[in-house]
Amino acid sequence: MTDKKLNDLDGLENLPGFKRGNPTYFENEVIDHLISITLELGAELWVVKDRLAHVEEVLSEHNKLSLDSLSTGKPSALLQEQLDLERTQIIKRIYGRLYSKYGGDVAEEKSAI
Amino acid sequence: MGISEAIYKRGKTAGVFPSLSTRRDEAYMDFIESARNLLLHAQQEPIGEYSKLLLKNAGKSMEPDPKSTAEAIELLMKDNILKTYYRIKRTLQESFWECTYSSLHMRKNDLLRALDDAEKIGPGSVAYDLDFSIPEYATAEIHIQPGGNVNDPLSGLLYDYGSKVFMGGAADNDMFADMQASTVATPQDNKVHRILDLGCSAGVTTSALKRIYPDAEVWGIDISAHMVRYAHARALGQNLDINFKQMLAEELDFENNHFDIVVANLLFHEVPVSISRKILSETLRVLRPGGSFTLIDFSGDKSRDVYTMFFGAMDAADNGEPFLPGFVRSNVEEIMEARGFEMHPYDPDKFILAERIGFKPNH
Repeated sequence: MTDKKLNDLDGLENLPGFKRGNPTYFENEVIDHLISITLELGAELWVVKDRLAHVEEVLSEHNKLSLDSLSTGKPSALLQEQLDLERTQIIKRIYGRLYSKYGGDVAEEKSAI
Repeated sequence: MGISEAIYKRGKTAGVFPSLSTRRDEAYMDFIESARNLLLHAQQEPIGEYSKLLLKNAGKSMEPDPKSTAEAIELLMKDNILKTYYRIKRTLQESFWECTYSSLHMRKNDLLRALDDAEKIGPGSVAYDLDFSIPEYATAEIHIQPGGNVNDPLSGLLYDYGSKVFMGGAADNDMFADMQASTVATPQDNKVHRILDLGCSAGVTTSALKRIYPDAEVWGIDISAHMVRYAHARALGQNLDINFKQMLAEELDFENNHFDIVVANLLFHEVPVSISRKILSETLRVLRPGGSFTLIDFSGDKSRDVYTMFFGAMDAADNGEPFLPGFVRSNVEEIMEARGFEMHPYDPDKFILAERIGFKPNH
């Protein structure tokens, strides 16, 4: 790497996230893994809840279950609205406490801009 | 299978974004998007205040110079709450790429066939060269997107869906691109016949410009063949007549004084400053006298404090943007002026996406 490129990096190469793969932010990398594990479990739990709600809706509407309709169809607008609300509540309830020290646990959902 | 069917075959997130391949993947990404909105975006203000308090209590300088920034990084990254924030940020980033990549590659053959088919029809056109020589700086895995912008045949689709999740809904239905395009300056005489979008990637801004100037000849150029291939298919899905071409922004294959408007939306922080200078010279060359150049990107360090420098440095590392710190330090509006642009007043307080507007002098 040339000096010019190093200047452009402005010390970035010393930050944990600069390393590709799975960087560590804590001295004890087990903490990094545990946080990632809880996020992954949360995502998978949500996949199951979303699927179950969709299954229930399809069953109640058609009295029979079509695997194709579950994969290619989409929930009704009402159910989708309920799912969106429930998802944010779950994330707040499970993970909000991580930021409770400075009051971030009560922050409302916000997009990037 | 038609182009629209292959790219937008299913799913509630279809529309201007490529849909994922299964309902399971959509639900997973819903979680990632909501988690980003709640655990990252919603935290930016309170965690900023918390960080500034830590800096103040430690008696640290709030000046944005490199020394103070390095000290801020050292202090703040000892704090367990901040480590948690950045750990979550990185994990969510890696998770959403892993899911997007596997989900779209599940339909790889259909999607590539759709891109091939799109090349043969209009409106609009696409041109690229399989032997195109890609500069080393462009091979970085920007945004930690698998394969980056140039090394995966589905990189355009990956980038587009990744943007949706990254922006947390703000980019849905091209809202963000339409908002950015609305800030693009018109030439001093208001005559607009030809428009060029530099580093167009998935062509989202290019399409937004075409919506504003439907009668203009609009070009989008990008370093990646995979990006322009997807950009064309995406514009086709919106029935927009746009020309996309693989090209280096620092070596434009257009005549002098050719364009009325040139735009660069979030390009400059992805290239080394040495390349930025070349792009600005080329932009000035292809603009006609009185033509406008709008550069939309992050603010420079002269309008920042040490916390926003820290935040930018962490984002650059966690989001795979190796040239971002160099760009911020360059204060690009000053380079534009030195290159010969007549500068429109610039709002230095606009931190996230600040427009720098310059005109090519009439004399």
